[in-house]
Amino acid sequence: MPDATVSATFDVYRFDPAKDAKPRYDRYTLELAPHTPILSGLLRIRAELDPSLALRYSCRSAICGSCAMQVNSKSRLACETPIGPELARHGRIVVEPMRNQPVLRDLVVDQEPFWRHYEQIEPHLILDPRRPMPEGTPNPMSPEEVERFRETPRCIACGACFSACPAVEADPAFPGPMALAKLYRFVVDPRDQAHQDRLVRIQPGGLWTCLRCHLCTEACPKDVRPSERIRDLKELAVRALGGTEPGSRHAVGFKNNIRDRGLLEESKLVRQTSGLAGVASQIGQGLRLYRKKPEILRAPHRIEGYDEVEKIYETLDSDGEGGP
Amino acid sequence: MLRAAEMQRHEVVVVGAGLAGQRAALAAIEAGRDVAVVSKLHPLRSHSGAAQGGINAALGKEDSVETHIYDTVKGSDYLGDQDAIEFFCREAGPTVVEMEHFGTIFSRAPDGSLARRAFGGAGFPRTIYAADRTGLALLQGIWERLGTEEFTLYEEWELVRLIVSEGRVQGIVALDRKRGSFEEVAAKSVVIATGPFGRVYGRTTNAHSCTGDGVAAAYYAGALLKDMEFVQFHPTALLETGILITEGARGEGGILKNALGERFMSKYAPRVLELASRDVVSRAIVTEVAEGRGFSGPYGGYVHLELMHLGREKIESRLQEIVDYSRIFAGIDPITQPIPVYPAQHYMMGGIGTDLRGATNLPGLFAAGEAACVSIHGANRLGGNSLLETLVFGKQAGIAAAEYAGSAPRPQVGASDLDAVEAPARAWSSRTDGEDPSTLRTELQQTMERYVGIYRNEADLLEGLKRVRAIKARFGRVRVADQSKVFNLNLTDAIEVGHLIELAEVIVLGAYARTESRGAHARTDYPKRDDEAWMRHTMARRTPEGPNLSYTPVTFTRWEPKERVY
Repeated sequence: MPDATVSATFDVYRFDPAKDAKPRYDRYTLELAPHTPILSGLLRIRAELDPSLALRYSCRSAICGSCAMQVNSKSRLACETPIGPELARHGRIVVEPMRNQPVLRDLVVDQEPFWRHYEQIEPHLILDPRRPMPEGTPNPMSPEEVERFRETPRCIACGACFSACPAVEADPAFPGPMALAKLYRFVVDPRDQAHQDRLVRIQPGGLWTCLRCHLCTEACPKDVRPSERIRDLKELAVRALGGTEPGSRHAVGFKNNIRDRGLLEESKLVRQTSGLAGVASQIGQGLRLYRKKPEILRAPHRIEGYDEVEKIYETLDSDGEGGP
Repeated sequence: MLRAAEMQRHEVVVVGAGLAGQRAALAAIEAGRDVAVVSKLHPLRSHSGAAQGGINAALGKEDSVETHIYDTVKGSDYLGDQDAIEFFCREAGPTVVEMEHFGTIFSRAPDGSLARRAFGGAGFPRTIYAADRTGLALLQGIWERLGTEEFTLYEEWELVRLIVSEGRVQGIVALDRKRGSFEEVAAKSVVIATGPFGRVYGRTTNAHSCTGDGVAAAYYAGALLKDMEFVQFHPTALLETGILITEGARGEGGILKNALGERFMSKYAPRVLELASRDVVSRAIVTEVAEGRGFSGPYGGYVHLELMHLGREKIESRLQEIVDYSRIFAGIDPITQPIPVYPAQHYMMGGIGTDLRGATNLPGLFAAGEAACVSIHGANRLGGNSLLETLVFGKQAGIAAAEYAGSAPRPQVGASDLDAVEAPARAWSSRTDGEDPSTLRTELQQTMERYVGIYRNEADLLEGLKRVRAIKARFGRVRVADQSKVFNLNLTDAIEVGHLIELAEVIVLGAYARTESRGAHARTDYPKRDDEAWMRHTMARRTPEGPNLSYTPVTFTRWEPKERVY
């Protein structure tokens, strides 16, 4: 016997800009087995209840990346998200279009911003004409080099990470998790000959706008773990560029700052990140802060248990992990 | 419908942006043409990306191009054209190397060379792969390479009709899904690379998008469809969903067992067992279940695909996606549990008939990839040969279409083709009562599933034909209820089911006419291959009454037909 069915309530975002003044939610109820993917539910709604529901879908097996949407406020692929756990947690299934992109109709968004950022990272091998590819044979690739590609080739460009990213929402110029994960894929590719240039070009706003909230990693259906790839890029940037621009200076400054006494000295961090000019530009804010919190300029001391902090730094240094 | 103020005009228009379409576009651009790519999906969402197992090239020291040719000829059950197969296999090595140079990330052997795995029907481990997402890796590689070129992309435009005038193809009519308008694009030559039409079946590994738009449009325009009755059923698909479990799973050592715990392939292919050709393995599974030795469950009979003995490390590194698919779509952990599988429609050997350069019988029309039939695969395709076909013949079609465009006059496109598309669409939308396209599609799929499946016979095929024609008649009263312009899926459903019905009719009629068993076409009433009568290709031409069938000889070079044993 097929699994017992449950009554599944879908509240689906509906909006046709040509006709509707504002979005609404239509409610549909179906009898479905708990393991049924959300996409199958939506297709049943289209076939049996309402043929006017608009959405993108194609492969139904989590490989084409068409059906990313908000399911109970989380960015998900509809085809691989079963209804059972959603109903258990939320009592109903609220389906909405992806965020951070304009809605064309119902669950269909205009992915132009997402693709524009993808294009801007130059998603192709950049080759030095003086170093041609080996004639008639593939480039060799060592197991260590291959290991760098454990996650990023799985990306299906669904946009779930872009939809989940608060930095994209706050700053439309931020490339977003997918584009940066893609950038990482090229920066670690032994065939690519523009690693350094790529890291320079993505500075300063590109990398360091990331809030490290890891919502992209939570949203990613293919375990690309974009936030970890952004972290990897930051490490590479600091190493390759020697901490010469504000983003990496801030990170390096943060590390050295804490090394001294085991706690953060905010007054010093401004100088470490932005130099004396930066201190000058922020002097007004510094004075306001001092009035409220005079202890920021107190005589420095090491925190209790500083030897533990020292040990952490020793371990970090001996591992050769020089990154932030 | 909205009407564009000015018609778009290009030298070469490529329809479909999977591997074949993109490779064709790249070749035409490199030949100096102004190229447009028309695709109903973003190119990176094309169904090529769903290919899992790998791409064949005889790069191993112990292997040879000759063996690859022989295996492909034999796999085709001697219906493949041997000149085409020879060309195809010789291009394999350079094609894979080129894709590596474009940036494709392949799996590697410990020595840094391209890793290879064993596949069904192959004499040696010949299948180059990227874990179990080789299609995605190649699709990323070609899209990254194509992205460095200048061309026009018509994204989410769906082909509806080819424009033919003065005996030549001179452009297309497409539906711009985002705006809901039909648009004409004039072209000196058109390459069809819209992939398969697996959605004529209900249980299929194909994406929902695989509705044969380009094949149907070519058929309407007068192109000959070739060998349409040869439908490949992949042996191992998940039960409820038909989601593919790659042949790579068996290539890595996975085994099949029936409910008695027997490794039943020893009865059907004693020498190579699970790595027999796909038609052989699929029939074996169907036979085991039909004779009561399968498992049974809510989604029908099935057998077990066991990977457990391979160990966690190997499974997780080489079959990463399969682990996810099994867990998500079947609730099975393949590291500790067998995967329940049963065959599902997977690949169409047939398609638009072409020569080695992708040319069709219609001047100005070219085709490549699964939409085309050269024929490389004959009556049965070997795993790992379809990805290769997309790239080898995509390139050829692009070169030939560019060459043709170089000497073709400026295309003449009037409003009549647009009217021919808009008038019926208006009628569909103005009906207050009529046939629902998704209901028609479901009934068509059930019909094909029941009457034109793995094992066929005359009575079933006649019944199938009758039913498909009844559905075709009902399509005349199809109704589009959704009145919106933007992303009107109800309208695209109607357009697509119209395509599927036409193509289903050709499949059934071809299968009914072919009174023999060859490769994937298994007639229980004609169980033997009949070389004398049937070593020939079926060619179907559209007439208002239905397909008109004729036959052309198979091209032989060096390989005489033999009994096919694995």
